[in-house]
Amino acid sequence: MVVDDHPIWREGVARDLGERGLEVVATAPDAGAAVRIAPAVRPQVVLMDLNLGETSGVDAIAGIVGKLPDTRVLVLSASGEHADVLEALKAGATGYLVKSASAEELVDAVHRTARGVPVFTPGLAGLVLGEYRRLAQRPAGEPAVPALTERETEVLRQVAKGLTAKQIGERLVVSHRTVESHVQNTLRKLQLHNRSQLVRYALEQGLADD
Amino acid sequence: MFRAAPVPATLIDVERPLEPLWRGVVVYRVLTLVTVLGVAAFHMTDYASPWGAGLVLAVMTVWTAVLARGYLGDGFEDRRGPLALADLAVSAGILLTTPLIVTDAQLDASVPGMGSIWTSGAVLACAVAYRIPGGVVAAAVISAALVLAKSRATLTELNDIQILVLAGLTVGYASLVLRRAAERVRRAVAEEAAAAERERLARAVHDGVLQVLAHVGRRGAELGGAAAELGALAGEQEVALRTLLTSGNAQVDAAGRRDLAATLRASASGRVTVSAPAHPVELPAATVGELDAVVRAALANVERHVGAEAPAWVLVEELDGAIEISVRDDGPGIPAGRLAEAEEQGRLGVAQSMRGRVAGLGGTLDLDTGPGRGTEWTIRIPTRADERRESV
Repeated sequence: MVVDDHPIWREGVARDLGERGLEVVATAPDAGAAVRIAPAVRPQVVLMDLNLGETSGVDAIAGIVGKLPDTRVLVLSASGEHADVLEALKAGATGYLVKSASAEELVDAVHRTARGVPVFTPGLAGLVLGEYRRLAQRPAGEPAVPALTERETEVLRQVAKGLTAKQIGERLVVSHRTVESHVQNTLRKLQLHNRSQLVRYALEQGLADD
Repeated sequence: MFRAAPVPATLIDVERPLEPLWRGVVVYRVLTLVTVLGVAAFHMTDYASPWGAGLVLAVMTVWTAVLARGYLGDGFEDRRGPLALADLAVSAGILLTTPLIVTDAQLDASVPGMGSIWTSGAVLACAVAYRIPGGVVAAAVISAALVLAKSRATLTELNDIQILVLAGLTVGYASLVLRRAAERVRRAVAEEAAAAERERLARAVHDGVLQVLAHVGRRGAELGGAAAELGALAGEQEVALRTLLTSGNAQVDAAGRRDLAATLRASASGRVTVSAPAHPVELPAATVGELDAVVRAALANVERHVGAEAPAWVLVEELDGAIEISVRDDGPGIPAGRLAEAEEQGRLGVAQSMRGRVAGLGGTLDLDTGPGRGTEWTIRIPTRADERRESV
């Protein structure tokens, strides 16, 4: 399923994917349509632009992941939307690719996302690292915030510095699968924290019954 | 991460921030004139020269009217400074007529000199116009005139002098603070307008031009041949345009700080990846400028020694009490001793100028390189703890 507000781009991506053996089950131009259509077609992977005209891709991600826990979201967005990308990840997206990526990179990323392997660019690793540092700087006394283990920090830094999973594995003398699972953990902890914060906020505001 | 909300422009008139102070000066002048006229009327019969006293009081009244027009009237804004200086001269002159009018016996009985409290208004005017230096110098002039006129310096005169200097300092400081506040508001308002305009442009460009450029870039690459060349050009323009639209975040804010992450992201291109936190990493603008120069030097070095198309990665991290920037490439690495050799030969190598800049910021520059390992520069500069908290 492809969500993008621009028709030329949307159809172009859909065709690229179709030509390479992937089935595009639906396309949607905005967040509302995406959240309505997704439960009907139950896509394995949603390709999501974040800048959807008047609506936000982040809201769409939260809506889709909430209804369809098995559906994975890959953000396909412009560079320069860093804060939005981070919010999208916290809302449940498992990968991020810039729009300038080639068709081959895109298809490969979709396959990896479908398998549950996070698609981590160096830029994304930098955002996630920065977010953990920011959380760690919060004054003491706030509810527990997630922290990275030393090894996870090391792996994320290497990803952010442009090393591939294979190169990192060689440097740290572990398999590239271990590296990938470390990366996956950093993302999952951040998403869990985000969800628990939302639940706490809802309870405090008396919205939990809705 | 949030900038203090700019003070609404209505609180401080940005174009004429000192207006309230000038109004205050005129009100003070009028009130003190009334006081001085009353006191003089009471002592009139005992003055050495009642006619002289009448003349001086008339001059004071006319001069107060001139000041009211000059300090408050429209169109005189540029002449307020010179008028305040003239005010100082007239006020000192009025004080100096004291020996001709007030008798020694009266002065001994604590009868005030001519002008007395009215003349202190000149100190306030000079303080508003020329800030603290103006206030202090004017207080010194009026104090000297006071002592000369009464040819004595008892506790009473010393008290008056103390109050004059204090008033000059206080009003001068208020003038300074108001000017600065107005300047900040002006910059904040301008910044906001520029940001709004950029956002409007960004939306329009995002919906059209960028999408088409990205699409052309993509299809071109697939078609190959001449189309691939066109596609590559379209792709480059897409990145350039996007950078232009987002680079507004790297402006210096009203507090003289600049976002390091946004600044370095301007170096991103097809071959250079910049990774940084999503929130602004705010540092003094001068520090950001130096760090940007160091990173650009390192990237230029990659281009020169590894290749024009060689990929490079920049990572910005906020650590506890430090900022760390890494610039890495996957090239052949710098052979051991090459840098030292270049420096010995007196060639102002890249490393030397980078080192100089980083040392100037109190930081360290480390190099990790070796055959087959690529090259990684690590720049680390300390940040003061209080400064950091401000920025988060």
